[in-house]
Amino acid sequence: MKGKHAKNLLYAGCVVLGAVSFTGCGSSAKEGVTEIEIVQYKPEAANYFEKVEKAFNESHDNIHLTINSPNDASTILRTRFIREDYPDIIGIGGDINYSYYVDAKILADVSDYEGLKDITPAYIAIDEALELVPVEGNFAVPYVANAAGILYNRDMFEEHGWQIPNTWQELLDLCEQIKADGEQPFYFGFKDTWTCLAPWNAMAVDLADADAARQVNRGEATFTEQYRETAEKYLQLLKYGQSDPFAYGYNDACTAFANGESAMYTIGSYAVPQIKSVNPDMNIDSFVFPAGDTKEQNTLNSGIDLQFCVTAACKNKEAAYEVLDFLLADENLQQYIDDQNAVPCKQGDFRLAPMLDGMSEYIQAGNMTDYQDHYYPSEMAVDALLQTYLIEKDTDKFLETFDTNWIRYNRDIIKMVQDYEAEHGNE
Amino acid sequence: MKNEKKRTYLLMTLPILALFICFNTIPLIQGVIYSFTNSRGFGSYDYVGLRNYIDLFQDLRVGKSYLFTIKLAIGSTIVVNVISLILALALNSKIRAKSFFRAAYFLPNILGSLVVGYIFNYFFTYIMPAFFQMLGTDALSTSILSNTKTAWIGVLIVCAWQAIAMNTIIYISGLQTVPEEVYEAGDLDGATGWARFKNLTFPLIIPFFTINMVLSVKNFLMVFDQIMALTQGGPAQSTESISYLIYKNGMAGGQFGFQSANAVVFFIVIVTISVLQMRFSSKKEEQL
Amino acid sequence: MKAKENIKANWPVMVLLILGLSTIIFPLYMTIVIAFKNPSDMTTTISGILSLPKSWSLDNFRQAMEITDFWHSLGYSLLITSITIVLCILLHSMIGYVLGRTRAKSKFYNFIYLFIVSGMFVPFAILMMPLAKQTAVMHLGNWGGVILLYVVFYMPMNILLYSGYLVNIPTALEEAARVDGASTWKTYWSIIFPIMKPMHATVAVITALAVWNDVMTPLVIMAGSGTNTLPLAQLNFQTQFGTNYNLAFASYLLSLIPILIFYVICQKQILNGVVNGAVK
Repeated sequence: MKGKHAKNLLYAGCVVLGAVSFTGCGSSAKEGVTEIEIVQYKPEAANYFEKVEKAFNESHDNIHLTINSPNDASTILRTRFIREDYPDIIGIGGDINYSYYVDAKILADVSDYEGLKDITPAYIAIDEALELVPVEGNFAVPYVANAAGILYNRDMFEEHGWQIPNTWQELLDLCEQIKADGEQPFYFGFKDTWTCLAPWNAMAVDLADADAARQVNRGEATFTEQYRETAEKYLQLLKYGQSDPFAYGYNDACTAFANGESAMYTIGSYAVPQIKSVNPDMNIDSFVFPAGDTKEQNTLNSGIDLQFCVTAACKNKEAAYEVLDFLLADENLQQYIDDQNAVPCKQGDFRLAPMLDGMSEYIQAGNMTDYQDHYYPSEMAVDALLQTYLIEKDTDKFLETFDTNWIRYNRDIIKMVQDYEAEHGNE
Repeated sequence: MKNEKKRTYLLMTLPILALFICFNTIPLIQGVIYSFTNSRGFGSYDYVGLRNYIDLFQDLRVGKSYLFTIKLAIGSTIVVNVISLILALALNSKIRAKSFFRAAYFLPNILGSLVVGYIFNYFFTYIMPAFFQMLGTDALSTSILSNTKTAWIGVLIVCAWQAIAMNTIIYISGLQTVPEEVYEAGDLDGATGWARFKNLTFPLIIPFFTINMVLSVKNFLMVFDQIMALTQGGPAQSTESISYLIYKNGMAGGQFGFQSANAVVFFIVIVTISVLQMRFSSKKEEQL
Repeated sequence: MKAKENIKANWPVMVLLILGLSTIIFPLYMTIVIAFKNPSDMTTTISGILSLPKSWSLDNFRQAMEITDFWHSLGYSLLITSITIVLCILLHSMIGYVLGRTRAKSKFYNFIYLFIVSGMFVPFAILMMPLAKQTAVMHLGNWGGVILLYVVFYMPMNILLYSGYLVNIPTALEEAARVDGASTWKTYWSIIFPIMKPMHATVAVITALAVWNDVMTPLVIMAGSGTNTLPLAQLNFQTQFGTNYNLAFASYLLSLIPILIFYVICQKQILNGVVNGAVK
């Protein structure tokens, strides 16, 4: 047997076969022009990025920018990474995927990027907290943040004279009141499993420790202790939703809320454009999820919604930085904030969307906590776990499953964290 | 002369064989290799021995997906074969516009299952509940896809809707091989209805029954499009088929290594079932 | 056979068959009606959803075409399907011929035959992840790669079909040609290939239906390459329709129309092809 040699030959044969028939598919770059490709994961912002792409290319001769905003971009990004086909810049959220990409050394260190100095330090800290084990350098430029809590129909609230609740008890009373007035408090879109995470996150920031996941990874806590209250309170919410919350998805829920079928919607600010597309004149405001028993316990659920990372495979970092400068220019960022009702990660004087009025107190005070689910590995499917829990309503089983699954899915990470700590000591 | 033939035969075979090895055998071997790693699909990875396989047998989600897939495969196979056999008998009886009916009943099979799934998704979510609400039946007034106990039935209906067409056509061609004389002989014995079917018709179309069984089981075990369109595995992971789970967690979810192990086991399961089925049915054919 | 008996139809069965047809017609009717309506025409009652639209507007279709980039997707679907069919017929018939003629006598060819045919049992799930990597390394993460993969995936089935069909073709034909001094290569293309025409039709039909409707292969191989096939476009733009189900249904209908037209024109060949493929 020729073994390996033969295999290589076959491979080569296949390549030739393929190459012969498909030449011309590659990029035909003009000389002297640097190609920069961005893949960003928010399809709802596709229009904005199309405009930016056009404006950039009109004003720059030396760089040609392409921005892709595919649906289900995280799958597409992963698939492309599996294929070792890296875009120059990726626009992703500040979540576990970012942690993985840093760990896999896919991202380049951007600490030499000037624009990083203008970013609010709190968001840089969030990124650092996301690293599985501390790594020297910065790997992302935070762009905008979002805030999750409860959206409400301002007109309906004014009409009935309902008050914004500050504690859990007040929220329950409000729901009873709304029901008594013949309206429906919530509309859920739990058919899309990820929407189960929205109320969960917003409540967990009030009730669990911000670094719960890290504590568990270090073996210092369990989720059963951390999440019991959140889980129990979540169940109480269900009876204020429509009768069959698992039949309808995110789009259905947005539509129902937009049409006044419910007074409130437990979702993030990112849902506002979708809601407005159904009912452009709707008067929406929001408030922080009052899951705590006192007002002081509450904190705003806010995390990095979009940040840009230069990949290690990017050949021309200078050009990539020029693109970042353009994206971060005040007028462009403001445009994004207006389009998407986002919160800027850059320091400066930006106008916030009116539907963030109810949360601005927290934003200004910096009383914000990152999403719990930004630390959950996607393959553990906590969203589906939550959906199961909401259907079965068995708190003990849910918490126990959470803990056992966590250990199984994070085994490699836990080992890495513990190895790191054995080496460097607990910080 | 003889050499020329040999050489030409080799030339006709080897390049194509190389293509097959390149895109089927090598990836298969690679899949097996990945199943012994903790690869996420990108970045570095380590060999972890049999860990993935040990995990596989303790993983509730994987277990659930096997149970669901097998339940769906058995359920659909029975439903599809019973209905299509009846339909084939009807379509093969003395009716007018025979070819029109045959063509019409085959229609679902040519449509893309993803789009069919989307259409039925709307049907299950909006039309069926509205219909039963109109009738005043409370039990069925919510979407069957939203309930963990009934969602698989929704998937089954969509799978069956398309598969019945195929199996019917195969049964019809089976029924056409039954010569008229058999029935005439049967008539003399006074065999009618069920008895005639059971004793005369069915034994003669057993080969076609076998084909349908093999086709159905294999297709339903690999169900993917319908899941993607109807439930995305929900509610509460109750309708995650094996293929869907491998795609979802292997490609998009960072379990490249683990799901490779799952795929290897899935492969073994399919081969075993296919071999058993063929053994079983060839024995049965001999007996008759 | 008495001619009269044929005319006397079995009416109860026909009535049942007509009733049964409603299960097939209803989803299609629903699709058409919803596709032509405006969101404002839809109410939550059944009659509201299923009544005929007030005005038959093509607006939804125009919009859906724009969103899903219909013509491009259609083009790629046609391209991929037709090239795959041609390659399958040329390559698979060739190797099917060699294996069919030799495997009874030669252990070597019999091994190749079994080796390839057993590929039928390999589920795509196990190949998908390594293939995603491999095709990318070879710069085949595009429609070209998808075609190559189809040629490989349908090889086991088609070889089975071709070599099975060859049993019915006497070797005398080839021997006669050889006596006339024709080479094996020439004999194959001028004599055997044309004789296998019925099998070509079968292979073409089966391959076409499978390729046209396949989602998984393009999803894994082409995702992110900027090109779509018709089913892939449906998947990718599904969320973009939001709750505008009218738009979504217009898009579904558009994606079904090409294959429906094809079916209406060649239903006879399709039915025959499918039966041949399954039964052989």
